[in-house]
Amino acid sequence: MSQLPHTVRGVDHVAFPTFDPAGTVAFYRDVLGFPVVHSICAAGWGPEKHPDFIHFFFDIGNNDRLAFFYYFGYEPPQRGIKGDVYARFEDDIPDFLVKSRHLAIHVDSETDLMEYRRRLDNSQWPVELQVQHETIESIYTHDPNGYFVEITRALRPVTPQEDLDANLTVDALVDVAKGPDVSMAALLTRKAELIVERAADWEPAQR
Amino acid sequence: MTQLFMLDVPENTPIVAVADQDPHVSVDKVGPYFRIAADAPIVINRRATGCRHAVWYSSVAGLLRSRITQWDKDAMRIEPT
Repeated sequence: MSQLPHTVRGVDHVAFPTFDPAGTVAFYRDVLGFPVVHSICAAGWGPEKHPDFIHFFFDIGNNDRLAFFYYFGYEPPQRGIKGDVYARFEDDIPDFLVKSRHLAIHVDSETDLMEYRRRLDNSQWPVELQVQHETIESIYTHDPNGYFVEITRALRPVTPQEDLDANLTVDALVDVAKGPDVSMAALLTRKAELIVERAADWEPAQR
Repeated sequence: MTQLFMLDVPENTPIVAVADQDPHVSVDKVGPYFRIAADAPIVINRRATGCRHAVWYSSVAGLLRSRITQWDKDAMRIEPT
């Protein structure tokens, strides 16, 4: 387990391109109510033929920010029939892979989750799916750019033993991924060995 | 011997309780994990556990000298290798 000092403080910003700035502002600012907190209006410069662009930021809570780039005069690449404006795929790529990359934004309560559901359902981007996973409950929709967006709440606090379990899973995965049999069966066998080695003497860390 | 590990979290305890109803099955703890063991295959009926699918399909933490031969909406069956 890593003993390095852990001093980072969450997501400063994550950035995506948009070709629909009006829809993007409508979705994030006007429907979801995420304040606009920063923007950059930049003329294109540099060795590449860089278009003029607007870089704009929404506050997604916790001082974290979701940012977009809008490039004047640049049309999105037209290829593939599924995916979002940044990543397009042909029909042979399964949906589980296309939908695997997504942004999940945290809320603290069921009340808050249902309030964001109400806002989305009253817009042109209604909730497509609401589901209870293992320990979280989430709502999903696609934003005007086709990006898959999740809003999620914890059904209960994460327990200390789940941190241990996550570490054993990841160690087992790294071991199995280097070996000849990369399978769930091999992972569960390796993880059982790690449970026997490391779980018996485990004590929950003082939090 | 069939040996299956499950993490001790609230979502998993109904699964362990259903497994423990089989008189051939023994359950003990290895740290924060339940160890479910038997000399024969272990079969757990999902509906008896009341688990939703997301919990059911992520409940197995480890298998010692055992393999999963059924893991679907009806049941989980673990057999010795």
